[in-house]
Amino acid sequence: MKGLRKYLTPFAPDQSGAVSVLYELGGILIICDAGGCAGNICGFDEPRWTDHASAIFSAGLRDMDAIMGRDDRLVEKLADATSKLEANFAAVIGTPVPSVIATDYHGLKRMAERKVKMPILTVDTTGMELYDRGAEKAYEELFRRFTEETLPVEKGRIGVLGVNPLDLSDRKAGEKLVEILKKEGWNQVDCYGMGAGLDRIAAASAAEKNLVVSPSGLKTAQYLQKKFGTPFEVRNPLAAEDCRKWAEAGIDFSGKRILVVGQQVSAETIRQVLEKLGSGLVTTATWFMKKEELSREGDIRLLEEDQFEELMRQGHFDMIIGDSDLWPMVPDTVETVDMPQFSISGKLADGKYAVRPTAEGTRR
Amino acid sequence: MSNKPVFYTVSELSARGMDNIPSEMISNTHLIYSSPAALAFNSPGAEGFGVKRAGLAIPDSVMLIVAPGCCGRNTSLISSMPQYRNRFFYLMMDETDIVTGRHLKKIPKAVEEVCSSLEKKPSVVMICITCVDALLGTDMERVCRKAEERVNLPVRPCYMYALTREGRKPPMVHVRQSLYSLLKPSRKKGNVVNLLGFFAHLEDDCELYDLLHSIGVKTIHELSRCRDYEEYLTMSQANFNLVLHPEARFAASDFEKRLNIPSIELTRLYQIDKIQNQYRALCSALGVSWDDTKYREEAENAVRSFYEKHGSLTFAVGECMNGDAFELSLALLRYGFQVSEIYGTITAENFIYLKKIAELSGNTRVYSNLEPTMLYYDCSETTADVTIGKDAGYYHAGCPNLPWNRDIQPYGYKGLTQLFRELEEVLS
Repeated sequence: MKGLRKYLTPFAPDQSGAVSVLYELGGILIICDAGGCAGNICGFDEPRWTDHASAIFSAGLRDMDAIMGRDDRLVEKLADATSKLEANFAAVIGTPVPSVIATDYHGLKRMAERKVKMPILTVDTTGMELYDRGAEKAYEELFRRFTEETLPVEKGRIGVLGVNPLDLSDRKAGEKLVEILKKEGWNQVDCYGMGAGLDRIAAASAAEKNLVVSPSGLKTAQYLQKKFGTPFEVRNPLAAEDCRKWAEAGIDFSGKRILVVGQQVSAETIRQVLEKLGSGLVTTATWFMKKEELSREGDIRLLEEDQFEELMRQGHFDMIIGDSDLWPMVPDTVETVDMPQFSISGKLADGKYAVRPTAEGTRR
Repeated sequence: MSNKPVFYTVSELSARGMDNIPSEMISNTHLIYSSPAALAFNSPGAEGFGVKRAGLAIPDSVMLIVAPGCCGRNTSLISSMPQYRNRFFYLMMDETDIVTGRHLKKIPKAVEEVCSSLEKKPSVVMICITCVDALLGTDMERVCRKAEERVNLPVRPCYMYALTREGRKPPMVHVRQSLYSLLKPSRKKGNVVNLLGFFAHLEDDCELYDLLHSIGVKTIHELSRCRDYEEYLTMSQANFNLVLHPEARFAASDFEKRLNIPSIELTRLYQIDKIQNQYRALCSALGVSWDDTKYREEAENAVRSFYEKHGSLTFAVGECMNGDAFELSLALLRYGFQVSEIYGTITAENFIYLKKIAELSGNTRVYSNLEPTMLYYDCSETTADVTIGKDAGYYHAGCPNLPWNRDIQPYGYKGLTQLFRELEEVLS
């Protein structure tokens, strides 16, 4: 049945994606909700939240605020907070409540910018879309607002887009990417939102190239290419490294028909490594954005549990690589390689990958 | 910009009075700071019992959460607990559902599909709806009746309306009403009592059980101790209810109206003399007497022996624990300890404690967990040797902490005895 979930809990929503992008940038982040959404984001979807304090707030909307559309009260609260807190911008992030009452985010932004002397971003997330859509919106809003100046291109400088814990399931993703890319010969690596702050975003036009490691960063890379002529490449070096580690750990991919379920850039990167390792046909599937420009024929966009169950019934695969929350729907005869996806299960990758043997006991 | 958290001393607050509470202490006048200390406020389901966990308090029930994906996101935390496995299901709403209301037509079919996917038929299906349906004005009672016809099982609504949390009937009040709404009038038994208010039972050794038995009560019902649905239904045989949490008042009122079962409300207290007075008042209302000396003396001994060893301790007390931060602070002060800080929400009900604290320790600071400047809280500015409450533990990260927030509830003399026993463990 469309929309019915019997095995999987809901995936990370768009508002969590938006927060994930903005979290480290030193702004006041206001979740435009009654409280529950902010609790879900912080208590579940933002793994950095327990490590260090961040200026993240709930608007504390109440029924009469929603019914009367009292945006002015929100602006008052925002002005109060900006008078007490140090911040370089404020962002208002949408949830189902403003979506239902059709909040005018442009109007809200104008009203707030008149009242407080700092840049205001608004991200019109609804809580009904998935995290990558929210992250994509936040990247666009951020770079359109702060990357204004055309700077001379610095040789050896690379900007990385789409780096956030929800896309890469790793709190250290920024540091790891810097390390890998420096080994590749880049001297300045800016992982925007995970290591590189607002000052680097403002100077993003100086990058020689941009690297897109997840679909949420693609639109912004296209925008930066159009506006500043910065070329971009799409691949996730972390996923490639993971895949090579699986092979080193003894997982045999040769000749196998494999389904990789993950965010599209990671899945495609893994496919390319698997093909080099001699696998059989590799198909990618994603529960999230499937960009046509990154797809091959036969790649799958998953929307419903029923659809995934049907895919499993068809029996076209010897092995599934994906989040272990999917396993209850995977037949025992299929090998599985656990690739945690934080946006699905809330589990972070820890460098260890469990392989479930098939019912026949043939691990590979 | 001072980069300092806002606080008021107890003396200042007491002098201002209940009608002049500073805006920093009133949550609807400012943005709500989201720190680990405030998580239980923003997302009650993330810790302890929120609507989702509470809604499954009826034995063998399951829940269908009908909402945008974001509302059910953190449920996977709860689903991973063994007792909730295969009990949560989701019907995800999209924007078209909101515009057309078509999700309501899908609910009966979804309930049927969920029930048919389960090996054991559930006792009840709870339908949990959220802020979106609050704004749409959904008549979920009607939808539940449709679903009941389809599956021939009780189907009940459960309202997770965060928008109404400061209203007359917040979600945690509503869910308590929903849970008891399936009870039908039945013959009363003079020796049966219900304890209402908590979603988990009292500590097994709580004196309330013994004291009630001593006056002839044979059966004491608590929702979480019901082994199955049939036992749950026998709660309607009670002679009277004891209401142990104020959020169960509306449920108790329903008991009175629908089932003709009266109620008496008791408060959780940590001041020994007040516990004694409350029991006396209860006995007087019931026209009985009991001897609670043994339990009172045990509590007095626990306090005395702890004080003899640790009398010079200074406490910081938070609100994320099983008690009222102000009442517990007052109790600690009256036992001779110091309280440097309280993290709490001032209400009409606990303002009376605040006034008494002002007489004993006027300089005690009061912070609101939810106020934006708590971002700058720095524990080096005050002294605390030990903290009580999960929030207090967060602020004083290096200090011994007793979270005191287990699901199973401390109560009465035994609760106080247990508190000091656990404090001793934390310090040793």
